[in-house]
Amino acid sequence: MFDTAIIIKSLPMLLGASVWTVIYSLTSVAIGFCIGTLICAMGLSRSGVGRAVAAFYVSFFRGVPLLVQLLISYYCLPLIGLNVPSSVAAVGTLALCTGAYLAEILRGGFLGIPPGLIEAARMVGLSRAQILTRIEVPLAVRLTLPALVNETTMMVKASSLISVVGVLELTRLAQNIATSTFQPLEIYLTAGAIYFVINGAITFLASLLERSFRVEKAA
Amino acid sequence: MSFNPAILTDNWAAILDGMVLTIVIWAAGTVIGLAVGLLVAIGQLFTNRWVAAPLTLYVAVMRGTPFLIQLFVIYYGGPFFGLDLSPLTAGIAGLGFYGGGYFAEIFRAGFLSVPPGQIEAARMMGMSRFQIIRHVQLPQMLVIILPALANMTVLLSKETAVLSVITVNELTSVIQSIGSTTFAFAETLLFLAVVYWAFLEIVTAAARRLEKRVGRFTLRGQH
Amino acid sequence: MSEQPIIDVRGVWKRFGTVEVLRGIDLAIRKSEVACIIGPSGSGKSTLLRCIAFLEAYSEGEIYIEGELLGYMLDGGKRIPASDSEVARVRRNVGFVFQQFNLWPHMTALENVAAPLRLARGIPREDAAGRARRMLEKVGLAHRAEAYPSQLSGGQQQRVGIARALAMEPHIMLFDEPTSALDPELVGEVLQVMRDLASEGMTMVVVTHEMGFAAQVADKVLFIDHGKIAAAGSPHEVFRRDENPRLRQFLQNYFDRNVFWQNAGEAGIG
Repeated sequence: MFDTAIIIKSLPMLLGASVWTVIYSLTSVAIGFCIGTLICAMGLSRSGVGRAVAAFYVSFFRGVPLLVQLLISYYCLPLIGLNVPSSVAAVGTLALCTGAYLAEILRGGFLGIPPGLIEAARMVGLSRAQILTRIEVPLAVRLTLPALVNETTMMVKASSLISVVGVLELTRLAQNIATSTFQPLEIYLTAGAIYFVINGAITFLASLLERSFRVEKAA
Repeated sequence: MSFNPAILTDNWAAILDGMVLTIVIWAAGTVIGLAVGLLVAIGQLFTNRWVAAPLTLYVAVMRGTPFLIQLFVIYYGGPFFGLDLSPLTAGIAGLGFYGGGYFAEIFRAGFLSVPPGQIEAARMMGMSRFQIIRHVQLPQMLVIILPALANMTVLLSKETAVLSVITVNELTSVIQSIGSTTFAFAETLLFLAVVYWAFLEIVTAAARRLEKRVGRFTLRGQH
Repeated sequence: MSEQPIIDVRGVWKRFGTVEVLRGIDLAIRKSEVACIIGPSGSGKSTLLRCIAFLEAYSEGEIYIEGELLGYMLDGGKRIPASDSEVARVRRNVGFVFQQFNLWPHMTALENVAAPLRLARGIPREDAAGRARRMLEKVGLAHRAEAYPSQLSGGQQQRVGIARALAMEPHIMLFDEPTSALDPELVGEVLQVMRDLASEGMTMVVVTHEMGFAAQVADKVLFIDHGKIAAAGSPHEVFRRDENPRLRQFLQNYFDRNVFWQNAGEAGIG
């Protein structure tokens, strides 16, 4: 029989763990965004070395499965004397990985900015860094918002993989409950539903943000 | 930190088996995913809402939940429905149905990209729904959606690594077990990363070439 | 027998939501008649043509094609939507030519004409190709059979569109603004094909802005305004007897524009 009682009983715990899922994934997207901006700027720079490093970075982190990246950071960091907590290593890995995807997304955004807007900023005397942070990044974000939101939801899903390296979050807790209660179907379906709701909420909030951008455009 | 490549050469047979299994899983998952995706897209677009609504929910769930959780539901939850699947079967089915959700979206966009006037013309010529899909819509949209299909196929190859979590003996699982028995994590895991990376680069380059060839073919027809 | 109209439109209404596009259209077309439908944009003239082809489902009324009800079945006095195959059966003798040609871009001109013969009629490949070639010849495009639509001019594309429809040996040809998407210098070749077709006795309904064509070729001109037939008759009657103020206005606008271009041409700016 499909046991709804076990769902109701374990729901508070699962919801509690989902807070960690949200924290880990959003933190990694925030850090990844900074990495992505940097990599993107290098990729679009005139420096040949910068472009090569950016290309290598994007190619590597998009070319290796995230699970393998997580295993490397989990097993290999201690080998080089870096004993960080597994959650920190995991979030760092998520950030590095999403940074590669975000760099590619932002690249499209940067290239979509009308050059006249940058020239105008240069003519009023903004520095290179100011142009990047005050003009280019905000415009690129507006241009690429749907892709950025999509990447964020991808990271919420991808964060389930950090359960494999022992970090307690929604998937890991679901596993623990499933093995101790022997009712995996109910528990995993519940966990899946929670992920679904989290991503639904992110998409909804983003649509509000997009609407506020549209107001800007109208004004 | 020492680095001993002999660990890899000593276990080359097992590693090779893992690689082959990874490619088999990838190919099978892609084929299932393409078939599921095409059928789901057709069901969403060309039937009534009682068929379309559940299919739309299916797509949303596949795209909105982690692949790992989907695997757990199929593998650990399967027995609840009398489906006692082996890890490999569950993994391939999981990969296929996961990919199917994404492929469905691509096919759907493809169907919608064919101008409605062309379908009206085919209807006026008395072609059946199936003939219109087969002879008017698919040939045109495949060219348009090929990059997206190729991209998704490449993404699926990376997801095969997740099957190691439900103990499928594909490459990641083989390497991990070598690593944990020999404690040679650096050698094994870096090797693993390089193999996937090289594989992805090759597959991506092949996809680009295919796109270019098809693009040239359609230049004749399109412009 | 010849008294029975080949197209019989009775009290047809068409609504899109709350918008009434057609408001009670009655129209009878007899065999070998050429009817031109004119009217301002948004008047419902294209919608009427699309209803006669059942590319749009009409909301009320009846349309009979060669005596058969199109798009619906009568079930004890109640109207129920007909199946796709039933619709296809009733309109098998209706050809349609689109404003935007709607050729399939992945097929050559010949394949565009031959593929429907194979697929919808089950005609063997060789025979279909032969008939397609004859149809392209008829519209003067035998030499372009292997070209893709993108390699053809607009006028040529539209002639392939006409050949495609003619290949099904229709009894009725419907034309939806067949020259509106064409550059002015390409309009003539398409109108010539249509003229030939009319002189062969084809039954034609043409939605058009080409008043010259309507005046010369049509047996009957229908002026549609706000979803109703506001004036109908022979070209002579409709173009001369302009007591309907809306029709007068419409024709005035049309002739003003043409006189302007004529003058512009003479002055060397056109």
